Amino acid sequence: MTNKINQFRRGNSEAQRISELEALVDTREGRINPRIYQDESLYQLELERVFSRSWLYLAHESQIPDKGDFFNTYMGEDPVLVVRQEDGTVRAFLNQCRHRGMKLCRADSGNAKAFSCSYHGWTYNIGGDLVDVPFEDRAYGEVDRERWSATRVPRVAAYKGLIFGGWDEDVPDLETYLGDMRWYIDIMLDRVEGGTEVIGGMHKWVIPCNWKFAAEQFASDMYHAPFSHSSPVIASLPPDIDPSQAGWPLEGHQFSAPEGHGTGFFIGAPEFLFPLLGEEAASYYVKDSAPEAVARLGELRGQQMNGAHMTIFPTLSFLPGINTLRVWHPRGPAEIEVWAWTIVDRKAPESVKDAYRKAVLRTFSSGGILEQDDGENWTEIQRVLRGHHARRNEFNVGMGLHTGDSGHAGLPGKTDYVYGEMAARGMYQRWLDMMCSDSWAQLNQRTAAAVAKEEQRRA
Amino acid sequence: MLKHFPSLALADHAAIDPALQQEIEQFLYREAQLLDEREFDQWLALMSDDVHYYMPTRYNPMKRAAGEEFSAPDQAALFDEDKQNLTIRVKRLHTGLAWAEEPPSRTRHMVSNVQIHPTADGAEFEVDCNFMLYRNRLERDVDLFVGARRDLLRKRADDGGWQIARRYIALDQTTVLASNMSIFF
Repeated sequence: MTNKINQFRRGNSEAQRISELEALVDTREGRINPRIYQDESLYQLELERVFSRSWLYLAHESQIPDKGDFFNTYMGEDPVLVVRQEDGTVRAFLNQCRHRGMKLCRADSGNAKAFSCSYHGWTYNIGGDLVDVPFEDRAYGEVDRERWSATRVPRVAAYKGLIFGGWDEDVPDLETYLGDMRWYIDIMLDRVEGGTEVIGGMHKWVIPCNWKFAAEQFASDMYHAPFSHSSPVIASLPPDIDPSQAGWPLEGHQFSAPEGHGTGFFIGAPEFLFPLLGEEAASYYVKDSAPEAVARLGELRGQQMNGAHMTIFPTLSFLPGINTLRVWHPRGPAEIEVWAWTIVDRKAPESVKDAYRKAVLRTFSSGGILEQDDGENWTEIQRVLRGHHARRNEFNVGMGLHTGDSGHAGLPGKTDYVYGEMAARGMYQRWLDMMCSDSWAQLNQRTAAAVAKEEQRRA
Repeated sequence: MLKHFPSLALADHAAIDPALQQEIEQFLYREAQLLDEREFDQWLALMSDDVHYYMPTRYNPMKRAAGEEFSAPDQAALFDEDKQNLTIRVKRLHTGLAWAEEPPSRTRHMVSNVQIHPTADGAEFEVDCNFMLYRNRLERDVDLFVGARRDLLRKRADDGGWQIARRYIALDQTTVLASNMSIFF
């Protein structure tokens, strides 16, 4: 293990390290070396170069409406408190006392006037500033409050209800980071006036797999749905319908952002939401709220794009229409914690919100009849990768490389056919560029070069 | 014990007829056996048409917010099923394509601490129990689910058999320590 860390981080020259990393991911040929899912030293480098550099999802605004409301979450493996301040802004800081590193707050969420460490009583206000040290005069003389305040997450910003945090001062502003993906996520966040909220409570569970399996599937993989998820569709069909006649939609597109985000969706085919969501939630989405969504977002986004899967790089994923929103918190190279919420239009009728609450727990939660199938694939792949030969076998992410662009007029950015892997290649290219870069300036250069190369290939 | 129902530990306990206690315990054991033997259709037939099968999510609240340990009825639950949805779950297992149960889990339901409380309706009883549910899957996967249940059992007028009209399940986990919950509790 130590040798590997040396290999990637210290022992070799920068050029050697980069060439070794570049050998793992070849998006021009559509090949992935599965060490990227399994190698501990690569994982440690990810925590530094991906998770400490990206905008990471923290919470939905509706979870912490009032002063002192907090939500206890993670950025990568770092515990972070997200707290609503007196002036209505949101701050985030490391959930770690600066004295001996004890966790400052161990409740999942709540309302606090201050955070007092249970070890020696150092106390921080809701902004994370150190405000009280027991026996300070006699024991210390004085403790420098500024220096020993909780470690602030320097960048916090929100996009239409979703609050993100970033450790890197140089990360581009959130809107730039989201790029063209904003146009796509508005399908979920901006369908009707008043925006969204999350249903109270959440689902948390553990899957022994690498975070990239989950992130990639939600970015790029409609291809698995007809095979992994046939059982819930068959079981949910009315008895008078022959399952063999219930085909999956064939028309649709996917989108890949140079920033690593991705989505795919069907064009038309709203009817498949009904067996999954039930009549009330599906009717709200497909019929009742559609006129307003069309007025706000246009015909394409308001009505025609259905069944979308999406990932904001690296670990925020959601399914507009089905309305699950989740983060894949990494827990080592071979485990994730899924933290999932149900997101609904704030102004939707209460009965619709409740229908969504039930629909999501029945489909996409630890007991959900679709979600169960996904975990099986990721877990078993991870286990197979323990094998020496298994992890030398490159994975094929070449779907769509040779079929040409089937882009759709009106879709921003780079698009392709819905059953494709362009968005997966985009995600892994971004991952590679982050892993090879020391700074945002270097990363932006690499990304621009990768985009130019890809355009050349397509031309 | 369970947020949605007052604790009965300190309630005035009417003496329960030992024959009734035995009858209900035997029913619970048979029901557990049906699940462990994967007789899901027969298990489903024990559920009343108005059954509510419910498992809230759980949290680590601060002491002063102790009421928030369990999710409220309008919040995220792990299960919130009626008969129709339980039927879909069972039908799904029969497709042979439900990958979390293909090959199927080996489960063992242990039921203990059975306490019976009469209700105003003479044919219905609230029944508390603790459960341990061991699941073993594939080559070496193990999950252990421990918690408490409160069932509403109803004696059928026609044949005197028992039906489950409500199952409320308090799982003793906040983060579910399993990659899925493809089984019944």
